[in-house]
Amino acid sequence: MSEMLKNNDVEIMLKDIGMVYQADGKDVTALTNVSIDIHKGEFISLLGPSGCGKTTLLRIIADLLHPTSGEILVGGSTPKEARLKQRYGIVFQSAVLYDWRTVKKNVMLPLEIMHVKKEERVKRAMKMLELVGLTDFADSYPRQLSGGMQQRVGIARALAIKPEILLMDEPFSALDEFTREKLHEDLLRIWRKTNKTIVFVTHNIQESVFLSDRICVLSPHPGRLSAVIDVDLPRPRTAELKNTREFTELVAKVRNSFEGV
Amino acid sequence: MKTYGTKLKKLTSAIYPIAFGVLIFIMWQTQLLHKLLNTDVYILPLPSRIAEIISDNSSKIMENVISTVEVAIPGLILGSVLGYLIAIIAALFKTYGSGGLTVISAFNAVPIVALAPVITNWTKDVSPEASVRSFAAKVIVVTIMCTASMSVNAYRGLTELKPFSEDLMKSYACGKGKTLLKLRLPNSVPYIFTALRVSVPSSVISTLVAEYFAEYITGVGRQIRENILTAQYATAWAYIVVACLIGIIMYILLILAESIFLKNRRQVLSIK
Repeated sequence: MSEMLKNNDVEIMLKDIGMVYQADGKDVTALTNVSIDIHKGEFISLLGPSGCGKTTLLRIIADLLHPTSGEILVGGSTPKEARLKQRYGIVFQSAVLYDWRTVKKNVMLPLEIMHVKKEERVKRAMKMLELVGLTDFADSYPRQLSGGMQQRVGIARALAIKPEILLMDEPFSALDEFTREKLHEDLLRIWRKTNKTIVFVTHNIQESVFLSDRICVLSPHPGRLSAVIDVDLPRPRTAELKNTREFTELVAKVRNSFEGV
Repeated sequence: MKTYGTKLKKLTSAIYPIAFGVLIFIMWQTQLLHKLLNTDVYILPLPSRIAEIISDNSSKIMENVISTVEVAIPGLILGSVLGYLIAIIAALFKTYGSGGLTVISAFNAVPIVALAPVITNWTKDVSPEASVRSFAAKVIVVTIMCTASMSVNAYRGLTELKPFSEDLMKSYACGKGKTLLKLRLPNSVPYIFTALRVSVPSSVISTLVAEYFAEYITGVGRQIRENILTAQYATAWAYIVVACLIGIIMYILLILAESIFLKNRRQVLSIK
């Protein structure tokens, strides 16, 4: 971990998180004994194959699911309090844009809900669209946009409420490789500009190495934390980084840290 | 060449039905149709004769058209609003909601022919005026017929949401009310039109049938009946043509409204 991050406070504290589902009358353990401290301003990935509970863990942080055991604190309060204070921006697997709203109005949606004044809403939405490079599409409808552009609108919308924490659930998994690479660089640029804490769920090893400060490797059956790997590659990072030996070695290290896959 | 292909397809899909209509019309006017159906011009008057009657009796026909439309439209509006409110309640209380809707759909399966006399009987104390009593009875029949299709379709529109959209609203700390306003209601708009595509024609048909059983003699449907009973087949046919026109015009108005309201939306539902 870099020096800068070490000195920062803990933003999200997960302690002995466990999640047990009921399925067909049987108990299914989705997560067991997961403890992670996520620091303010950190870019952290939750990496693992399907069934490892990475999305479950993100939903627990987002207060969309409640763990069956363990403790979680977000900025010193419960996830529910954090959610009600709108400290989270969430980007889902699909962009979840409302097709009856223009791009700009989609970004304005959370601001409307928060009763931000109209003038300020428009101003902030346009600023966010500028950040993701979609100013020219403000008055387009979602169906007129490509998948990558739609997901960028999703990111703009998540950032519009000025959250401290950005939760991203496999946001680029449905995109083609070229679009994904472009969005990786965009995301890192946005992150550098806004200083958010980002929790990024993915099943793509290269993606997690390229983006993160730290990678939490989760293994399945039952979902558990099998390794935490520091990524001390220099920033700012560009696509050329992927050709370096350091990058390839880290990818190999991450791959070798999985258990029972 | 794709646009050319779809244009051609659109054109042919319009040409075939029109050509078929023209063919029937020619067969009808030349009495070929009568030979095929083994009937005569008394039972099935010629189109020229029907047109003559419509133009000769235009003011009387117009009176009856207004009487019919005055029942069909309030019934359509009342039924649709009622159906939509039921759908909202069902969507908010899902546990009971879908069960309640099944009951309403079952109610809808009762034929108008059975329903109309029963309701005429209910409304006999509404007013000393026969015209008012009949009006109430007819509007109630149309309302009932339009409620079910709206409630079932609107319920789908209010509950069949894009994946994660409810999670999104929850992450903004939205309660049930806000989620309804910002997500469910706008999501249901295309489904409202799906319901209206069924209930606009059905409002006209149920008005015509309700008129049959009404106490007060008025309306296009009732005139069809009266003229058949008195063996005035040509006049009856004039009213049948007018009834068709009412239905077609209302449907066209609906399609126009739909093209305005759904202009910017993905065509969620195809024409069926």
